[in-house]
Parts: sequence; C-alpha cells; structure tokens
Amino acid sequence: MPKLNLSQITAITLLFTMAVLVIIVPLLPGYDPYKQNLAGALVPIGGTSITGEFYLLGTDTLGRNMLHRLALAGQVSALIGLGAVAVSLTMGVFLGLIAGYFRGPLESVIMGLADLQLSIPRVLLLIAVTAIVGPSVINLALILGLTSWVAYGRVARGMVLSLREREFILSAKTQGATAAWNIRKHLLPNVLPQMTIVGSYEFGMIIVMEASLSYLGLGVQPPLPSWGMMVSEGQNYLALAPHLAILPSVALFILVAGFQFLSQAFTRENDLELIR
Amino acid sequence: MARFLLRRIFQSVLTVFGVITAAFFLVRLAGDPTLLLLPVEASAEDIARIRNALGLDQPLIVQYFKFLTNAVQGDFGVSLRQNTSAMQLVLERVPATLELAVISFFVGTGLAFVLGILMRMTRARWLRELITWIALGRQAIPLFSFGLFLILIFAIWLRWLPSFGRGTWQHLVLPALTLGTYELALYLRLFNASLAAEQRLDYVRTAYAKGQGHLNVLLKHMLPNALLPLVTVAGINLGLLLGGTVVTETVFSWPGIGRLIVQSVSQRDFPVILAGTFLISVMFVVINLIVDILYGILDPRVRLT
Repeated sequence: MPKLNLSQITAITLLFTMAVLVIIVPLLPGYDPYKQNLAGALVPIGGTSITGEFYLLGTDTLGRNMLHRLALAGQVSALIGLGAVAVSLTMGVFLGLIAGYFRGPLESVIMGLADLQLSIPRVLLLIAVTAIVGPSVINLALILGLTSWVAYGRVARGMVLSLREREFILSAKTQGATAAWNIRKHLLPNVLPQMTIVGSYEFGMIIVMEASLSYLGLGVQPPLPSWGMMVSEGQNYLALAPHLAILPSVALFILVAGFQFLSQAFTRENDLELIR
Repeated sequence: MARFLLRRIFQSVLTVFGVITAAFFLVRLAGDPTLLLLPVEASAEDIARIRNALGLDQPLIVQYFKFLTNAVQGDFGVSLRQNTSAMQLVLERVPATLELAVISFFVGTGLAFVLGILMRMTRARWLRELITWIALGRQAIPLFSFGLFLILIFAIWLRWLPSFGRGTWQHLVLPALTLGTYELALYLRLFNASLAAEQRLDYVRTAYAKGQGHLNVLLKHMLPNALLPLVTVAGINLGLLLGGTVVTETVFSWPGIGRLIVQSVSQRDFPVILAGTFLISVMFVVINLIVDILYGILDPRVRLT
C-alpha cells in the first residue's frame, strides 16, 4: 500500500462520497425521486414532515425527497459527462493523431478548426447550438462532446509530433507498415495514458458546463432533475428554504473538486515515472 | 513587428469570418424561419410569399453571401419578438456587460496580485497553504452556486448589498466578486511560478548582495518581469470572462448581453441570439489581438515565434 499524499486522499474521499450518492442511494429501499408529498413540502435538512416522515436532506417545493432527487440528478449528470467525454476523447484523439502523423495541409485545417472553436466562448457556443437543436440528454452529451475535443486534439498532436520521429516508427515504416497500422498499433497506445489525465480533468469541466446550461434552463429538462436546474429552482426560495439551492451546489462542488484533485494526483505520479 | 502584426490581424479576420460561417449553418440547421413567423394555419401561398420576401427561395450559396455581406455590416435582421434591429438590441446591452467584465477582471488580477505578494513575503507556511486551498476550492464552485452563496450571505442574511439589478456601485460588488474570483487559482499559480523563476536569477542575488530589503527586491526588481505572464493570461481570460458574464448576469439579473441571449433563447428569437453571440465573439477576438500586440511590445522575444 503506497503512502498517499493529501490531494490523493482528498480526491478519494470526495469521489467516494459521490459514488455513495449516485450508486448506493438509488439501491436503498423506498427510493423514489418522483414521489410528491404536499403535506411534507420544504422540510429542512434532517427535518420531519407533518405526517411524521424523516428526511435526511429535507424535501423540495413539491415534497419530493431531496436525497433521492440529488442521486438521480447525479446519475443524469454522470451519464451526460461520460457520454461527452467518450465523444470528445474519440474525436480529439483521432483528429490529433492524423494531424500529427500526416502534417501538411490536413494539420493546418484541423488546428485551424481548433483555434476557431476556441475563439467563440464555449458557453455561448453551447447556448447557440442547444437553442437550435433543442435540449435532450443525448443532444447534450453530443453537443458537449463535439465542442470539447480541442484539448485532446492538441495534446495528442503534440505527442505524435515527437513520437513520429522515433526509431520504432521508422522501423515499422521500413517493414512496410501502412499509416493506419502505425497510428493504430504504435501511436494510439502511446498517447492514450495522457488522454485519460486530460479526460479526468475535462469530465469535471463538462459537468460544470452541463450544470450551467441546466441552470440557464437550456440543459436537462423536467421531469428529469439536474443539479444546475435544482439550484435555479432553489434560487426563488433562497430566504425561505436555502437547502434547495445549497445541497445541489455542494454536490457539484464535491464532484468537481474530486476530479480536480484526481487529475492533480495523476499528473504528479506520471511526472515521477518520467523522472525514473 | 510589422509581419507579426499583419499575421495576427489576418488570423483575427479569418476567425471572424469562420464565426459568421458557423452562424449561417447553425441558422440553416434550425430549419425554416418562416414557420416561426407565421401562425400555424397560414396557407401555402403565404408561406411562399414570406419565403420570397426573406430570400429563402434562392440557392444556398446566394443566401450565404447575402448573409455574409449583411453580417459584416452588423445586420442580423429584425428581432422576431421586438420590432427592432437585432444588433440594436444587443448594442444597448454592451456597456453593462463591459462594465461587469472589466471590473471583474480588475478584482481578479488585483486579488491575485495582493495574495501573491503576501504569499512571497510571509514565512508562515500555513498561510500560504490556506490561500492556495481557498483559491482551489473556489475554482471547484460553479459561477451560479458561488453567486447564490454571496446573495444568501450578503443580501439575505446580512442585508448589506442588493442581490440583483444594476445602478450603484453596491450592485456591482457581488457580481464582480463572483466572476472575478473564478480564475483566482490559475492567476495565483502563474504569478507564484513566475516569481519563483525570477528568484533564481543572478540579478536578484545581486540586488540582495548590495543590501536591498526583501520587499524592495520583490517590488522593484522582480515584479516587472514576473508580471508579464500574469498580464497575458489575464488578458486572454478577459475574453473568457465575457463568456462567464452569461451565467453571472442571469444570477444577478444584470441587464447585459448574456442575459439578453438567454432570454432570447427561451423566446426562440434567433436573430438576437446570433447577433449577441457574434458580437461577443468579435469582442473576444479583438481583445486577444490587443493582448498579443501589447505582449509583443512588452516582450520582444514573442515576435520571433
């Protein structure tokens, strides 16, 4: 068992809390994020409704169990995040690899596209696109994925630029390996570990983006809950029932901070490997 | 320098051109705008007449060039909800958004500057760690959550500051704190890294050797060199701040472009959405251009790359 440093311990603690919320809570008996209980609306954290039911994290305006809502919203966010990361990772790695391997005009076009996309603020791009294609869970994962390939593309291309000059590629070429073979069998395995680090950082970013869109009313649509939407609903009850806005914010914080520390922990370990 | 300038300006023009092209295809993806303008029971003749009036019956390439010529002149058509030019509506909101972005920028860089110097000067390790952890923690809180926390504390519990609207300086405090501190961790890390890099150089040792005080060396000798990277990144982020204004303006009901865009989305007012997105993108490109040129003037090494 290696000794863990502070940021690794923090990452593990935060992500474990999140895993309990998203995976364990839905398995509990009586789990129902949609069940309304108007007699027990706006119960505070750890409060009891008039009918005598105990709510660990209170209830929302319709008397729905906040703990269960948070868990379902977490599942929705995680699903969108994973989908988006899968889309952007595939697209970014593919474009980065061919840009770095073939160079020339193809590289200029791909990197030009990357620069163009970076010159439109991401939130605005997402708003404009969702306004037009309409929000749904699948659309959101696709849009978020298609607009965040640049980070992977740039890192992958940068790595390939140096890898392609190495002897093992030259050796493969002299033995008659095709470009497709070289990219798939020699470059991809070398690039993928770095991509998981970028991915763990981007996952947090995508969750925030999704939450921001949902907060603006352009993301996940009711009846499905989303942390961002829950915050936006809670804003109207800020004075009366602050837990409505605070709890989903805390959930977002735990998830985002968890992935932030995770990518930090990863980076350090990899740096050590490079030094050895 | 002239070549560097020309190349950067050419790149910027190309980017704006790309944004307009992307906007055109987005509009086409949205489908036929005539159906949005007419009631459901409109006859086929009416639809054809409107299509003709809007030029939608012409070949795509003709439509594209028409859109291009109009967009370059800032003409994105008439708002579908309010009978005014879409660009006019957006331009009215520019001062509010710029005010928020610029003040937030100074709040963010100012805080980074003060905290960075403090972290260099203090011998207390716990204080340095504390500042780093707070900045990192802040980064993990989305803009809207942080904004609501500030409203909860300063507007609802303490009743010190207003929670929405624009007017007095009090209205500006919470939005600027929300938006300005978002990138604090990044600024701090950069500032510290560049200060640490300068610390190792010979001129710093010389300054200490001739008996200069710690604060003097820091402020007079190291700072001018260490500030350069901070200025660049903060400059680029002034553009990113423009994106962040969208959420911040919604939280605090700040009457800027971002809020207008969000409202237009729920009203499906496409000309306004496009005009707003276009204008912010152009502002973004122009700011980046200015920062690059400034950086080229400040640091001659940049021009070579």
